[in-house]
Order: sequence, then C-alpha cells, then structure tokens
Amino acid sequence: MTASGMMIEAPSAPAQTRRGFVLRTLRRKPAATIGLVILVLVTLTAVLAPVIAPYGLHTQVGPVFGSPSWSHPLGLDDGGIDMVTLLMWGARISLVVGFAATLVSMAIGGTIGVLAGYFGGAVDTVLMRITDYFLVVPDVPLMIVVAAIWGPSLFHIVIVIGILLWTGTARVIRAQVKSVRERVYVKRARALGAGHTRIVVRHVLPQVAPLLIANTVLTVAVAIFDETALSFLGLGDPSRISLGKVIENAFERAAISSGAWWAIVPPGAVVALIILGCSLVGGALEDALNPRLRVAHLSARTFRLRPLVGRSEGAL
Amino acid sequence: MRGADYVLKRVAFAIVTVFVAVTINFALFRLAPGSAVTNLSRVPHATQELRQELRKQFGLDKSKGAQYVIYLKQLLHGNLGISFENEQPVATNLRVALINTLPMVTLGTLFAIVIGTLTGVIAAWRRGTPTEALTVSSALSFYSMPTHWLGLMLIIIFAGVLPTGGMTNEFLLNPPFWTHVKDLATHITLPSLTLGLVLYGEYTLIVRSAMLETLGEDYILTARAKGLRPWTIVRRHALRNAMLPVATLVALSLGYIVAGAILIETVFSWPGIGRAVYEAVLQRDYPMLQGAFLLLTISVVLCNLAADLLYFKLDPRITE
Amino acid sequence: MTPLLQVEGLHVWFDLAGGGELHAVQDVGFTLEPGERLGLVGESGCGKTTTALAIMGLLPPTASAAGRVLFDGKDVLAGGEATIRPHRWVDVAIVFQGAMNALNPVRPIGSQIVEALELHDVARGAAARARAGELLESVGIPARRADRFPHELSGGMRQRAAIAMALSCEPKVLIADEPTTALDVMVQAQILELLDGLCREFGLALILVTHDLPVVAQLCDRGVVMYAGRIAERAAVDELYHRPHHPYTRLLFAATPDLDDLDQPIISIPGAPPRLDRPLDGCPFRPRCDRAFERCAVERPELRGFGDGRTAACHLDSLVPA
Repeated sequence: MTASGMMIEAPSAPAQTRRGFVLRTLRRKPAATIGLVILVLVTLTAVLAPVIAPYGLHTQVGPVFGSPSWSHPLGLDDGGIDMVTLLMWGARISLVVGFAATLVSMAIGGTIGVLAGYFGGAVDTVLMRITDYFLVVPDVPLMIVVAAIWGPSLFHIVIVIGILLWTGTARVIRAQVKSVRERVYVKRARALGAGHTRIVVRHVLPQVAPLLIANTVLTVAVAIFDETALSFLGLGDPSRISLGKVIENAFERAAISSGAWWAIVPPGAVVALIILGCSLVGGALEDALNPRLRVAHLSARTFRLRPLVGRSEGAL
Repeated sequence: MRGADYVLKRVAFAIVTVFVAVTINFALFRLAPGSAVTNLSRVPHATQELRQELRKQFGLDKSKGAQYVIYLKQLLHGNLGISFENEQPVATNLRVALINTLPMVTLGTLFAIVIGTLTGVIAAWRRGTPTEALTVSSALSFYSMPTHWLGLMLIIIFAGVLPTGGMTNEFLLNPPFWTHVKDLATHITLPSLTLGLVLYGEYTLIVRSAMLETLGEDYILTARAKGLRPWTIVRRHALRNAMLPVATLVALSLGYIVAGAILIETVFSWPGIGRAVYEAVLQRDYPMLQGAFLLLTISVVLCNLAADLLYFKLDPRITE
Repeated sequence: MTPLLQVEGLHVWFDLAGGGELHAVQDVGFTLEPGERLGLVGESGCGKTTTALAIMGLLPPTASAAGRVLFDGKDVLAGGEATIRPHRWVDVAIVFQGAMNALNPVRPIGSQIVEALELHDVARGAAARARAGELLESVGIPARRADRFPHELSGGMRQRAAIAMALSCEPKVLIADEPTTALDVMVQAQILELLDGLCREFGLALILVTHDLPVVAQLCDRGVVMYAGRIAERAAVDELYHRPHHPYTRLLFAATPDLDDLDQPIISIPGAPPRLDRPLDGCPFRPRCDRAFERCAVERPELRGFGDGRTAACHLDSLVPA
C-alpha cells in the first residue's frame, strides 16, 4: 500500500468480476438502459414486421403522398404505401445490413487486432501499417467509388461497409490484447507450454470480449449510417427497401415541395433512434471499461457543510 | 529545433502515405474489374477524337506498369486528366469545386468547434446537475442524426425563410456587391448549419471528457490551494490542457468533414467537391472521380500531419 | 493566547460511486501554536491527508464536512469556499507529495510562482519575477531555471520548487503532505533539512502528514496518530516514540526497522483497517490489537487525557511500557 496521489480517488465498491460485466453495466447506468430499451423495441418491431405491419408492403392504400390520418398515422409515401408499414420493413433491411456489415468488420478487425497484439514484433508492425493506411483513406468517398464500380446489391453494400469499418476495431482490440498478454497468468500458461490457440481462446478472448462488444455496438451505428448514406446517393440495392431508401425515394419524388414531410422525417428519425441507442449502449460499456479513477477537484458544486455532529472535541 | 526528428518522421510518414494513396487510386480505377477508363465503350457520348485523346493520354495500349509510370508523371505535372462530362481539365473542375466547398465547410466546422467547446466545458463544470444531462443529451441526439436527413429537416423547417438550394440565386444578374454577399450568406446558412449541428455533438463529448480528466489532475488542486478562484483555474489551467486532445481531434476530423460534405452538398445542390464526386459517380465520369478521390485522400493525410505537428507544438512534454 | 490553528470535531464524508458514503474523517481535533511542528501520522487511508486538505477547504465536490477550523479564533470552514479562500496561501500553504503532478506541466515553474505573488498582491510584473527568482535561490534552485518546465527538473528539484512556491506569500502555517515519499533517500534527507531550516528561519508552524515515522521523529515536536479516520493518540513525539500508550502507536513505532539493531525481528501489524462505509461497534483497532478485551468490542473508546498533554482513545488505563 502506498500513499501515492491524493486520497481523493473515487471510492468504489470492490472490483467486479468479468462475468456478467456487460449485463451489470447495462442494468446500472441509466443511459445504457435507455439505449438498450430503444434497440430492443426497434429490433423486435423489425423482426415481427411481417406479422404486425398494418398493411401490405407493396399495397397502395391511398394517393401519392397521402397525408396522415387516423388509419394512417404517418401518412403515405410516393407510391401510396402506408408509411408505418414501410418503416417496419425498412428497419428490417437497415438492421440486417447494419449487423451483417458489422459482423464482417468485427471478423476482420478482431482477427487483425488479436494477431497484431498477441504476436507483436514484425507481424504487429506490418498489420498496423496496413491499418494506418486504411484509416487515412476517407471512407465515404471510397464506399461510393467501390459501390459505383461494383454495382448495387445488398451483398456488395455489406462487404463494402464492412471492409471500411474494421480499422477502428483492430486498433482497439490490439491495445487490449497487448495489455492482457503481459498479465501473469498468460505468461504462466506460456511457461507451462500451452499452445497459442489455447491461450488466445481461453485467456485472451474472455478479457477482450467486453471491449469487443462495446466496439461492435458502436460499429453497428456507423454501419447503419453508412447504409443510409449510400442509399441516399442512389447506390443502395434498388430491390430492397431500407430506411435509407425510403428517405431517398421521398427526396427523389420531391416530397418536400409537395409538403409531405411525413415521408422524410419518420424514417430518418428511426435511423437516428437506432444510432442513438447504439451510441448510448456502446458508450456506457466503454466508459465502464475505462473508469475514470480520479474525481474532479473542481466543479460548479463545492463540498457541502453539515451541522456539527454530537459533542465536539475540545483541545486539551 | 526541439524534436526535429519527430517532425521529420511525421512528414516522411505523410509523404509515404500520399504515395500509397496515389497507388491505391491507380489500382482502384485502372485495375479493378469494370473499370471504365480501360473500357472505353463505357464512356458515355465519347467522340472519336476524345477516345483517341484518352487512349494517348492514359497510355491504354501499354502495359499496366507503364501506365502507372505515366500516371505518376502526369500527377507531378498536375494533370489529372480530362473530365468526360464537360471535357475540361479535371484539375480545373476540382479547383472550382474546392473553392465552393471550403467556405461552407469552414463555417460549419467553426460553428461546431465553438458550440462543442462551450457545451463541453459547461457539461464538465456543471457535473452531476441537470444542465450536464441536458447538454450531453442534445449533443448525442444531434450526433445520431444522419447528415442528409438533418439537412432535409432544416429545409422543411426553413423553407421560405432561407434559400434551400444552390450557392447563389441564378435569377440575380450582375448584382451589386453587397446584394451578392447577402445572397451568398443566405445560401450558405443552411448547409453550414447542418454540418455544424451534425459535428458539434462529438466535440461536446470529447471536450467534456478531456475537461473532467484535466480537472482531476493534481495541479488543479494546487491551483485551488493557491487561492485562485474556480473559474480562473478553469480558464488559465484547465482549459489549456483540456484543449490539447481537442485541438488534434479537430484537425483530424477536418479531413473527414470534406468527405461528409458530400451528403450535404447533394441535399442542398451545393456546387462543391462533394457534389462533384456524386455527379461523377452518376455520370461515370471516371477521371473526375479519380481526381476528386485523390484530392480528398491527400487532404486527409495533410490534416493528419497538421494534427500531429499541432499537438507537438502545444504540448511541451513531447520530445520525440 | 489563542492557538494559531484549532481543529474541532472535524468530520468528512465522501459520496461513493454506487451510492452510500465513506466516513473518512471522524471527530478529529487538535491545535497548533505558532512555530510548532505537528506530525500527522498513520497508515494509508487513515484520513490524515483528508484532514490536512479539509483544513484548507480543498475537499472535492463529492465531499461533505462538519466541524470547525479556527484560524486565530475565527471559524473559516463555516462559510464554505468563500470564507476559506482568503486564507489560502496567505495564512496556510501546502506542499504535496513529490510524485504528484502538482505543478502545471505546460507552464514554466517561475511563472507559477509569479502567479501566486500577483494573486495575493505581493509583487507584480518584473518585481514578481525577480522575487520568484530569489525564492528559487533560497531553496537551492538557480534563478535562471525559472523558465524551465516541471518535467525538465528532477523529482527533488520539483519538490523544492513547490516549497518555494508555498512560501512565496509568507504563510504562518505550512502543511507538508508526504513531502519525502517517492524521493530517493539522499534527496529525502535534503528536503527534510530544507524544510527544517526554512521553518526555523521564518518561524513557520508545520503540519507534517506522513506514514514515515523516522521523519516525524526527526522534525516534529508533537504527533497525532490517526487510525481509521479517528485519532488514536495525541502526544509529544518523544512520548509517542518512547512511551506510547495506544497499542496501535506502540505497534506502529515498533514496526519501523531499527538499522542500529539488525537482529531485532521485523514486526508487522497483521490484518487491515476496517471499512469506513458502514458504522462500527467498539474500537476500530480491536481486530488487530494485541491488548484487546471484552469492553473493546462493545464500547468505542473516546479520547481522554492521561496527563502531560497526552490524550489517547483506548480503554487501557495505564501507560503500557514500550
């Protein structure tokens, strides 16, 4: 025990175990809970869309850009299709693309991160140089170019987005793997002759998992945004309707000049909600993994005073 | 000079990265399947003369390696090729587009930096109060909004009050100077406001985080012990140190802002680099696309370099 | 004559991250006469640093406090930040632990001393810079080093600079919080000599907060031993060293290896201090005490006098031979 630093370290409960860390954090922090609720609601709606959508996805139920009414709370789009239905189905595709692209990005980024962090040395340097160069290239233009050259299809979009998002993950995972590698039990395992795979799977991965989850959630947010952007620029899959496509359709058909704000505002709002939910959850997890050890010495509030307690000790 | 080798290292890295970007650019546009530069039949309404010119210019009858060398030589001369669409040098088109984009992007970024810093400091200062929750929630909300959607929302809200498309009013012929300025100002408002709103949230969170971190440092306690007033401490000791990561993050994100402007320029029909990229994609104008892409990549590299050097200058602790 | 500094019934609580409170300082009181040297001793986490900070009102926003801190008879804690700020640096100054980032890393050390001088109207501009140079010289740093940054100085020199800064406004009380921890042994001795000399020369009262007992023995007149946020014993240093009453004091001083007697077995105190986030029955030291009896588990001992200016919080009635 040393008295390094001031005693003003944030006092906290005893250290938490790794297991159930994610769930515990999600339960405790209000921001994370809100985010989780949002995501669960949206995902459930999207998954159950075929069952709970009020109207058919391709069924025209009214005029072009019909205004909101009791039977159609969010109005109709440029094809006379009910907006609520569109939103539900659109969320499905958007989420699918988001998750799939994130999966690709996680797979690449996670692997590279683990390899670079675990083996270090030349492997690390080479992988990190590659990552650095990928980081520098601006993703949106690159995505546009690749999508334009490759042709629009859901599969291509997923791959393109995934290929561009892995760099952030790779860096973060690498840093964590490096620190885990230095831990005593890993060194002990090496000394006992455990193979690399065994060590990685049994010792490194569990420690890296919470960070990976946090990073995954945050990546989903970016992936969904990227899909929206690509759709808006006309590079999305024309045969599938994602939320981005809904916005694009409305834009193309001059929804604004027709005054049909309901064709534009709700789909974007749903996208914003999904991204917000992911940011809240991912951010809360990241914060929990890097706790700020020091309390601020200063803020608008100052320390509080209480009335004297009991008998005061006079000087003797 | 302090840390001369640090500076040299960063500059060298930047140069190498530019070189790599140039190579990737070449590979992407010449080697990728479906690359229309090589497949001249895909060039829309190309005249026979244009085809000949292209063939000569790009050396399409030579090997890939030779093409690469030609490409590099052309770059060094500032020759980015001829646009398919308007048959002007790509470099000229890009220059015009860049001049149009920069003011809009600069304005938006300034807005984001100022508002972001302000709200970040307030959030950190009023930690644990509803003010903090409010500022952080607003920041997160705007940060989560898709750029183009926010632009569209602003159009819906401000239609009729502010112009929602283009950079100037085309019906004004030879307007007097101040009318022209006013015209530009009204047109630039919504696009830059969109950019500012989408960006500021990230800065708020970063400033808040950096400020809280700084306020936990030991020398803040010393400053308090000396008898300085709290706000003086924030101004004189905390702000400077908390701004360190912010300064570099801003410089870094500048590179990506130009890329993000693509969406805004499309929504607002702003004749800048972003829209140039978009239209080049639509029209399959590959020289334009290639040139614009290269320009954007180099701007990111330069901004990263600027960020490194800025951080180096601001923090006397870095010596290598 | 009223004492220079009086602390009465001081309590400090910290809000805990998950809810609840940590009662870090419990009913602490002592006095300080002009020019007197007081040692505040105990293990890490016993509340000695928090007590020192509370004297200057340097508690964080997550803290709450109760009790009285009297300067020349005037209560300065009662009005919070507003009443205590005028006293900072001018009446009482503090020097922190050497390992800390106590000096702003992006400003030259000279300018940080000038800041103190100008803030309290001791000097301005060129006169302030000159005075800062003098102060640095008086602690053994050449004046031309005033434009160096803290990281360009060694640990010992940083500590000296901090001391120079602390003395810049001629306070009456100097608080030194672990001034020698994290310094090399050689440098430690130099710093202690410096403190000794400066306090003597300027007639400063000194509060030395430390867990390092030989330092207290060397420098201080009286000592306050703290345990688990409470005062265990208060007496002259000589008494604490040779005739400690409280079993904790006895074990604490016995635990310091004596370099003159290398055959002596090294004694350590088994166990750990109690948690301060929940109330405690009986004496906080009981689990680790070698002299505890039934009363110790039930009733918490209050501080009582044992003659000759000694007070201790212990149920034992007679002076225990060391």
